Amino acid sequence: MIGIIKFSAILLFISCNVAMAQTSHIMGLRDNTPEVFAFVDARIFVTSGDIIHNGTLVIRDGIIEDVGEEVKIPDDAWIYDLNGKTIYPAFIEFYSDIGLPHKAYIDKTDIGATDLPQEYKELLFKLLAASFREADQKGAFHWNRQVRSWYDAARHFGYDEKKAADMRSKGFSAAHTIPPLGIFKGLTAMVSLGKGSLNELIIRSNVAQALSFEKTKELGNRYPASLMGTISLIRQTFYDAEWYLEAHNEYHENPHGLKKPEKNLALASLIEAAYGKQPVIFSVDDEIALLRTINIADEFGLNLWIKGSGKEYRRLDLIKDADFPLIVPLDFPQKPDTDNFEKTIELSLEQLMHWELAPENPARIYQNGAAMVLTSAGTKNDKEFLKNLRLAVEKGLPEYAALDALTINPAQLLQIDQTHGTLGKGKKADFIIACGNIFESGTKIEEVWIGGKKYPADKPPELTAQGKWQLIISDTIDYKLELKGKVGAYEGKLISDSHEIEMKNVIFDKQRINFLAKDVFDLRDGIIRMSAQVSEKFMYGTGEMPSGKIFNWRAERIAEPDVEEESGEDKKDEKEVLKALSPILYPPMEYGVSEIPEQSGCLLVKNATLWTQSPKGIIEKGDMLVRNGKISEVGIDIGIPPNCIVIDAAGKHVTPGLIDPHLHTSIAGGANETGSVITSETRIRDVLNPNNIWIYRLLAGGLTAANILHGSANPIGGQDAVIKMRWGGLVDDMIFQEAKPGLKIALGENVKGLQKRYPDTRMGTEQIIRDAFQAALDYQTERDEKQRYGLPHRKDLQLEALLEVLEGKRIVHAHAYRHDEMIMLIRIAEDFGFKITSFEHTVEGYKIAGVLREHGAAAIVWTDWSSFKMEAYDAIIYNARLLSEQGVLTSLHSDNTRLATRMHWEAGKIAGTGVNEIEAMNMVTLNPAKILGVDHVVGSLEKGKHADFVIWNEHPLNGFAYAEQTWVDGRKYFDRKQDRKTLREVLKLKNDLTDKVQESD
Amino acid sequence: MLNKTFIYPILFSLLLISCLSSTVYGQMPSPVQEETVALINGTVYTVSGGIINNGTVVFKDGKITAVGTDVDIPDDARIEDVGGRYLYPAMIHSGTYLGLMEIFRVREATDVRELGEINPNVRVEVAFNAASRHIPLARSHGIAVAVVTPAGGIISGMAAAMLTDGWVWEDMVYHAPAAMVINWPSMRNVEERDRAIGKLNEAFYKARRYHKAKLASSMYYHATDVRWEAMIPVLEGDVPVIINASEYRQIQSAIEWAEKEDLQIILSGVNQAGMVIPHLKEKEIPVIVNSVFSGPSRQWEPYDQSLSLPKKLHEANIRFAISGEASAANTIRLPNHAAAAVAYGLPENEALKSITLYPAQIFGIDNRMGSIEKGKDASIIIADGNLLHLSTQIKQVYIKGRKTDMKDQHRLFYEMYMEKYEKYERMK
Repeated sequence: MIGIIKFSAILLFISCNVAMAQTSHIMGLRDNTPEVFAFVDARIFVTSGDIIHNGTLVIRDGIIEDVGEEVKIPDDAWIYDLNGKTIYPAFIEFYSDIGLPHKAYIDKTDIGATDLPQEYKELLFKLLAASFREADQKGAFHWNRQVRSWYDAARHFGYDEKKAADMRSKGFSAAHTIPPLGIFKGLTAMVSLGKGSLNELIIRSNVAQALSFEKTKELGNRYPASLMGTISLIRQTFYDAEWYLEAHNEYHENPHGLKKPEKNLALASLIEAAYGKQPVIFSVDDEIALLRTINIADEFGLNLWIKGSGKEYRRLDLIKDADFPLIVPLDFPQKPDTDNFEKTIELSLEQLMHWELAPENPARIYQNGAAMVLTSAGTKNDKEFLKNLRLAVEKGLPEYAALDALTINPAQLLQIDQTHGTLGKGKKADFIIACGNIFESGTKIEEVWIGGKKYPADKPPELTAQGKWQLIISDTIDYKLELKGKVGAYEGKLISDSHEIEMKNVIFDKQRINFLAKDVFDLRDGIIRMSAQVSEKFMYGTGEMPSGKIFNWRAERIAEPDVEEESGEDKKDEKEVLKALSPILYPPMEYGVSEIPEQSGCLLVKNATLWTQSPKGIIEKGDMLVRNGKISEVGIDIGIPPNCIVIDAAGKHVTPGLIDPHLHTSIAGGANETGSVITSETRIRDVLNPNNIWIYRLLAGGLTAANILHGSANPIGGQDAVIKMRWGGLVDDMIFQEAKPGLKIALGENVKGLQKRYPDTRMGTEQIIRDAFQAALDYQTERDEKQRYGLPHRKDLQLEALLEVLEGKRIVHAHAYRHDEMIMLIRIAEDFGFKITSFEHTVEGYKIAGVLREHGAAAIVWTDWSSFKMEAYDAIIYNARLLSEQGVLTSLHSDNTRLATRMHWEAGKIAGTGVNEIEAMNMVTLNPAKILGVDHVVGSLEKGKHADFVIWNEHPLNGFAYAEQTWVDGRKYFDRKQDRKTLREVLKLKNDLTDKVQESD
Repeated sequence: MLNKTFIYPILFSLLLISCLSSTVYGQMPSPVQEETVALINGTVYTVSGGIINNGTVVFKDGKITAVGTDVDIPDDARIEDVGGRYLYPAMIHSGTYLGLMEIFRVREATDVRELGEINPNVRVEVAFNAASRHIPLARSHGIAVAVVTPAGGIISGMAAAMLTDGWVWEDMVYHAPAAMVINWPSMRNVEERDRAIGKLNEAFYKARRYHKAKLASSMYYHATDVRWEAMIPVLEGDVPVIINASEYRQIQSAIEWAEKEDLQIILSGVNQAGMVIPHLKEKEIPVIVNSVFSGPSRQWEPYDQSLSLPKKLHEANIRFAISGEASAANTIRLPNHAAAAVAYGLPENEALKSITLYPAQIFGIDNRMGSIEKGKDASIIIADGNLLHLSTQIKQVYIKGRKTDMKDQHRLFYEMYMEKYEKYERMK
């Protein structure tokens, strides 16, 4: 039995490829059929700009021997007359994973095809799966199995005829194949899509190192569990690769007395990429992710390649002067479902706009002047690929640019342009034969030649017996034969001048037809059986008369079958160059703006009730002068300077822009890195997503700034990002530059509640935080006293962030509910000599106001959240009041996006607990500004501060107030009047686009 | 004029005395009204009959006996001069887990959701924990009656209107059953929708058969089925049905179903009611809006979609109550929801009605609650400002004439720790 298993295993893993490598032994007779061909009367695109109109192409042994108008055809060449057909260089696919396994381990379907009994299959599966897993875990690889930089596509490439045939049918002769698994996916390879030995198919190996922002779950490792963790892992690994080289070099020079640096195949494979010597390819899913990759590449000086998202048109400025090539996908979005009201009402304008604009993406990128490669990745089949390619051309991408983007551009990037991408003499004979202009609909790719071998791209049209035929049996019998139907379900009639007789049992198998008929040919009583070989024009058949006599017959076609018109490929006379209804909006969605609101040089707000939140208190009928985004004067009766815009705010209230010091809005890929306990290496700014409608809605609620924090799953969470609500900006635009960088710490129920992970108690929480800061101290010592090991210092992003806390460069925001844990953390901070800048939630803060005050910790609290979990049971609505009365710097927060749209009402509620109104307003303006270290620029209406302010229809705390206008940096980002107008525009455009979808093919 | 240094110690000792007298107990239910009370010199928001300046409200045995400016005050009345403060009818919360849910995420501390999908027989009042911390908070914030609702399943059970003052639940039942609660199935998944609606139909079908058999004067004996027994008052039209439905398709489906079943319904949730206003109007279906703060459902919708829903309902002349979140700890947000609706277009007086008179009408207790009127319960709020203004503080709440204890757990903790700081940790 073991024998059977062994045998099957071998069968499984030895490919059935019989092609020979140049170095292999030849079994049996040699094949020496000549491989010399001449293609005459062809239109030949040597390159996109070098077109031979009536030319000849000669190829010998897979290489182009000659090409041109006046070419002497060698007399040993086999000649193909192309009758004016077109030859293009074959396409090169830049982003595929052909021939590489998609699964880290085998699963049961992999052995499903073997003929073993079920129980043997199970056993075989268990044995193989175990050995695979074990093999994967052995060896000096990376601690994190998502790091597979050692994985070499050339080593694992296998022949995949199905995929190769699919890609050939799209016109491709070669593909860049990229390992599909892990975050560091491994080394890519360039492969041919022909048939042959694996040795021959691989054109280049070690082409690039591929990376992904998405981990492969089945590989294992809890970390990273979020996008920010993934980016941290990528950054740390590149740092490690640099360190690895330096450490080994040093050790190699003189190992005496040195600790041996570890052997790590993953890091060793990454060195070239880390030093920019080997390209690194990322696939991104939007323009924000594109920026993320650029940031990583800039940090390490990587040689970056980006496979785009198809959304580049949204931010062409990002790729205008890009020094990286962009691989642009043609998998345009599917038509949104507009079949009925219940579907259309759920569609967003963002979806509809993208549907409309995506086909213009290649043209817009081209017009923007960026180098481009097109990829078929994501297109379902040849039809969709060609349809979308043609759509891109129709929308304004020049044909030559499209051709370059599929041939010479990828060839150059992949460094195979010596042999691929053009049809010059001496190049590889990889080309397409098409029946016309490949960029026009209706044109078919008929053949793809790869290395001088022909591969039919299109299935030949199937033979049909449909139509009318004239039977030829004898002079006396004049019958016609009419056939209808499809293969397997034919019906037919035999027709003479006087009769029409149904044929029975009609069977057509694409070559032979069989049927019988009763009482035909004037033979009144009996069945006649007939069969024939069918060709396009003739039938040659035999039959049996009722008498038993065998006879021969013939038929000639007299009418063609009805041909079904192919739909959706009609030629359009007019090109629809960039005719989209959708404007380009920032961000690309409803309520987006076509440009960032203007910053007026001079702005005067007059006659308002000014809540200055400064020693000037509330100024009735007050004026505020703003110049170039900053407040330049606050007072009464300020004269109107020349050329100054005046807002009459009589009867209105003006307050500083509201600030929420604790929010988790606009975080892409998870607000918690739950894969680890200490995650100080993660950074919110890496994963901010400015394409979020809630930023607009926050502005509509008067919120102008917020601290975006890591969640509370970990005792030590990530690095925060303080942002301003600069709607329409990118991440860098939104970052509040003046803010102090912060780190999230979390205590209590959320930290200890996670699946079998240390810590499981508040006791353990204390210990692990202490241990982490101690580790940072040890790290510092090691860094400063390099002699200890003598090896170069290894940069540790996690400990760097903790060290910044110890060095006072990073402030701490600590999530805590209970008073005991707050005291605990304060004692840790005191022991290590740093400060807790603020406690977040601080539910039981009122119990230890003195302790907080003495430490100098601020309290960030809710108004009335209570009893949603055990540690919130002692929450009281007077918490903010008591803390404030006891001299603790107190701020409100939302921790909830919807709540953050109404912080003025939260302040109003605090006034309702007995806090005076100015102090209540401070809790949503000046106090959070102080906590975030931005009170020198925002938080009050004072000379020199940023002009971040809100105009309210009435008293902002009384509950009836809404924001009429919200200004940030002296720019009007929200205006309720404009909002009503925009709403109408949004609805109109949404409706128009829905109709357009409905009318499209 | 008194010197500041002189007056502070006096105030401080007064504070101490009041603390000492209350910290021990606090949150104490109040005794039944024995003496006649006359609140004088108040700005009386009657809700039903306009605002009376310098008004007087007299009440006896828990009922209002006189309201107005020219009122005869009985000789035995205790006169309380409210000094121009504002008097409002106490509020009604139209949907809460008060008394059933002490701590949301602690399973042992919640009793809102019985197992199974068809639970018409469960009734909230028997599980209403009169000693819950959250009840005194609701009371001191002006809520006299809370409609406590069960949750979960398809038929969740029977809701009850509960008083927020009393020692045990039996003393606190104000109106029960107030309604039977149905959760309308989600319309997104057709199979699940059909299964759930099928189950609901089946329950009503069986309940009707049971009802008929029970009514029949035949000789046959029918054993009791507690589920269908509980539904008889619903079938007879004595108890309304609250249907929780938020999406427009759910609302339409619920309206159609109720018409077929010939039931008197109250729609609750109704986040997307703005899309079906004519239906609500035509069928005269009252609604309970608890979604003022829920935000838009779709990316293209205006930011104030839910905030302006009450305004739209009002303009269409649909009867509605505004309710806060169901969470027991957050009943005090009730007036905040109404105020937000004012910011986005609802007239102030309508907002006030939506948390007093309208819920009273919807639940059929408007003969006792909802306004300051002769003959109604003396459940009255004394506030230092406009009840809907967030910064307003409620100074005293009367419930059925009882002067209630204004000390809730929050107040107690505040005073307890303030005492700690004053006594032991004076600020340097």
